[in-house]
Amino acid sequence: MKDWFKTGRPWIWLTAGAVSVSLIAVLGLLALIAWRGLSFFWPAEIHEIQVQASDGSTKTVIGELYDTEEVPMERLAESGIVLENYSEETLERWLLKVGNREYVPLDFMWIMEPQIVADAKPLDVAKIERSKNGNFYGYITDVLEQGESVFNSSPEQSELREELAQRIERVLDINDQAEDLQNSEIGAINYRLNQLRLERRALALKEQLTDSEEQRIAAEEAQLRADYKVLEEELFAMREEASRDSIVVRDMRGMDVTIPMYRVLDVTFPNDMGAIAKVGYFFSQIGNFVSENPREANTEGGVFPAIFGTVFMVLLMSVIVTPFGVVAAIYLHEYAGKNPVTRLIRIAVINLAGVPSIVYGVFGLGFFVYMVGGSLDQIFYPEALPSPTFGTPGVMWSAITLAILTLPVVIVSTEEGLSRIPSSLREGSLALGATKAETLWRIIIPMASPAIMTGLILAVARAAGEVAPLMLVGVVKSAPMLPVDGNFPYFHLDRKFMHLGFHIYDVGFQSPNVEAARPLVYATSFLLVTVIVGLNLTAISVRNHLREKYRSLEH
Amino acid sequence: MISVTPSNAQTEALDLENLSAEQTALEIRDLNLHYGEAQALYNIDMTIPKNRVTAFIGPSGCGKSTLLRCINRMNDLVDICKVNGEIRLHDKNIYDKDVDVAELRRRIGMVFQRPNPFPKSIYENVVYGLRLQGINDRRRLDEIVERSLKGAALWDEVKDRLNESAFGLSGGQQQRLVIARAIAIEPEILLLDEPTSALDPISTLTIEELITELKEQFTVVIVTHNMQQAARVSDQTAFMYMGKLIEYADTNTLFTTPGKKQTEDYITGRYG
Repeated sequence: MKDWFKTGRPWIWLTAGAVSVSLIAVLGLLALIAWRGLSFFWPAEIHEIQVQASDGSTKTVIGELYDTEEVPMERLAESGIVLENYSEETLERWLLKVGNREYVPLDFMWIMEPQIVADAKPLDVAKIERSKNGNFYGYITDVLEQGESVFNSSPEQSELREELAQRIERVLDINDQAEDLQNSEIGAINYRLNQLRLERRALALKEQLTDSEEQRIAAEEAQLRADYKVLEEELFAMREEASRDSIVVRDMRGMDVTIPMYRVLDVTFPNDMGAIAKVGYFFSQIGNFVSENPREANTEGGVFPAIFGTVFMVLLMSVIVTPFGVVAAIYLHEYAGKNPVTRLIRIAVINLAGVPSIVYGVFGLGFFVYMVGGSLDQIFYPEALPSPTFGTPGVMWSAITLAILTLPVVIVSTEEGLSRIPSSLREGSLALGATKAETLWRIIIPMASPAIMTGLILAVARAAGEVAPLMLVGVVKSAPMLPVDGNFPYFHLDRKFMHLGFHIYDVGFQSPNVEAARPLVYATSFLLVTVIVGLNLTAISVRNHLREKYRSLEH
Repeated sequence: MISVTPSNAQTEALDLENLSAEQTALEIRDLNLHYGEAQALYNIDMTIPKNRVTAFIGPSGCGKSTLLRCINRMNDLVDICKVNGEIRLHDKNIYDKDVDVAELRRRIGMVFQRPNPFPKSIYENVVYGLRLQGINDRRRLDEIVERSLKGAALWDEVKDRLNESAFGLSGGQQQRLVIARAIAIEPEILLLDEPTSALDPISTLTIEELITELKEQFTVVIVTHNMQQAARVSDQTAFMYMGKLIEYADTNTLFTTPGKKQTEDYITGRYG
C-alpha cells in the first residue's frame, strides 16, 4: 500500500478524478438544459382522454401530455382529493395542457391515472396556435368566409386541411404587411410627431418660438397627421381583409367554437405527422422562437428582443470597457512608479472584481441613472421633462454599469499581457529613436492584443450572464421597441431593453402560468448559454488570429 | 594559452590620446555610474575615433555592456541607475537636460545580444525607424530597404519575401535584419552589444565580415567577450575589469604587447 502511494498513482487518480467530475458536471448541465429546452419544440402528441369523475359521470379531455408524476395518496388526501376504490399508496397523475383558455378555468389540468377510462390519439385533432389566449385544441369542422361556410356539403378532412392551409397563408401575409406598416411607417410618423412636440417645447423654453417657427412645426404636424390618416385607413382595410375568414372548431366539451382567422398563427395535426414532418416542425418552432416577439406576458412566442438586447448590451459594454481597461492597465504597468501606492491601487482594482454584482447595480442606479442621467436631462433634454430621457434606466447605463463590473478583469489580463512582452523588443524600439509612447503604440499594444482579447472574453462571459444589476439599471420584462431601429439617430441608448437572463427569471418566477413557462425557462437558458458561447467563440477566434500574428520570439 | 593574431584588416594605429576633432566620434569624460548604492563604473575616460571599430572586452560583469548602454542612454530605463560625468558627441554632453533622448538614439543606433525583430514583416522591420520619423513615401522607403538590407548583407536572401514575417528568418539572418534596421536610419555611431553571442559560427563569421564593412560608413563600438572576435574585427580595444578601464589601445598593441599585467593575464586566458 505504501509502495503504491509512492508510485504517485493515487495522485494521478485523484487529479484525473477531479477533472472527470468537473467534466461530467458541465456536460450534464448542458445536456439537461439542452434536452429539456429542445424537447419543448418537438411536436407533442395530443391525447383525447375519457375521464370518469367520482360521481360516475365521464367527460372528454383533449390536450398535450406535458408530464407524469407519482404522488403519494396522503398528499392528495390532504388537499381534499379522495378517490374511492383505490388503495395503493401512490398514484400516477398526468399533466395535460388543454389550452382553450377562454372556456376552461386553467389551461393545464391534472388527471388521476385511475380515473382514466379511455385514452386515444385521434389523427384529426388539431392544435391551433393563436396570437391571443394561447393554443386551442379540437376538431376543425368548417371554414367560414364572411360567416358562410365555403363548402357546399360537409367537407372531407383532406379538403378541409387544404382550404385551411391556403387561407391561413393569406391571412398571415396580410398580418405581416399590417405589422410592417404599423412598425415602420406608422412608427416613424409617431416618432417624428414626438420629435416635433419636443422641438416646440424646446423652442418655447428658450423663448425662441416665433410665429414662423410655430407655423412651420404646425404645418409639418398637419402633414404628418394627414399621412397618418392615410396609413391608418390602409391598416384598417388590411385588418378588415384579414378578418374575412374564420374557422369552426369542436372543442373537448363538444361545442362548436368560431375562431377568427386573423388570430390564428398556425394549425397543425401533431398526431398525423410523420417523422420528417415532425423534424421540420421542430426546426420551424426553433426558428420562430429565436426570431419572434414574445406574446401573452412572455409565455408564448419568441425571444428575439431578448437575444437582441443581450447581444447589443454586451457589445456596447465591450466597446466601453476595452479602451478604459487597456488605458488603465497601461498606466499602471508602464507609467506608474513601482511603489506601495501603485500596489495598493492594483490590489483595490483586483478586489473590485469580488464586489457582488447587485452592488454595482445599486451604484449604477444611484450614480449613473439618477445623478449623471438626471444632469444630462437637465442640460440636454429639458424639453422632455418631467419625463426623463437618460435619467431613467436604459441600455447605455446597463452597459456602463457592467463595464465597471468587468473592468478589473480587463485591467488584470492586459497587465499580464504587457509584462509578458520581452524587454528586448521595447529596447529595440527605443534604440531606433522611438519615444516611449511610440513604442507603446507600435509594438507593445499590438503585441498585448491577444491578452487584451483574453480579458475581453472573460468580461463578456461574465457580463452576458449578469442579471441582478441589470434589473436596477435598464432591463424590463417587455420592451416595446428595440434599442436600434430605422429612426434617426438609429441607436437609442436611452431605451430600456430585454435580456435573456432576466427573461428566464421573469418567465420562470413572475409568470401567471408557471407550468406553461417551465419548458420555456429551459429553452431560454439553453439559448442564453448558446449566445454566450457564440460571443466567446467569436472573441476566441479573433484572439487566436492575433496570437498567430503577434507571436513573440521564442527565446 | 590562447593565441591571438590580429588580422590584417586593421587600419594603421591612431594616437588615441590626442585625436583631432574630425577624427573623434565620441568622448567619454570621467564617467561614474551607480546602480543604487553599488558603483558599476569608475572614472571612465576614453575617446572613440570616427569610422573605426572599437571593442570593449573584459570578463563578465566588468561593466562593458553598462558602458555601451551609457552611450545611447539606454540606462535611463533603469530607475535606480545614476550617471555622473560626461559623454560628448560633437562637443555636446548627451546627459545635458536639453538633449532629446529619442533624437540621440536615432543618431546612436544599437544592436542587442539576441536578435529582436519586431512581430512585423521584414520590410516593416527595416522601415520602422523611418516611419517613426514620418517618412512614408513608398518609393523612398523601398530604396532605403534595399540599401540597408544590402548594407547588412541580407538582401539576396530575403529580397523575394520582404512581406513575410521576420520570425521566419534564422537567428543569424534575424541579427542581420536588426543591423539593417539600425543602419536604415543612418546613425553616426552603431553600438553592438555582443551581437554574435547567440549565433552559430557561420552566422558569426558573416556578421564579423559585415562589421568590417560597416566602419566605412559608421563608427562602430562593439562589446564582446570573445577575444578572438575583438582581435579580428576591431581597430582599437578597451580592456575593462571591475568597472574600471584598465587599458585602451590599438588592437595590435593591446594583444601583442599589453601594457598592464591584468590585461596580459586576461588575454592569455589566466582568468576571466
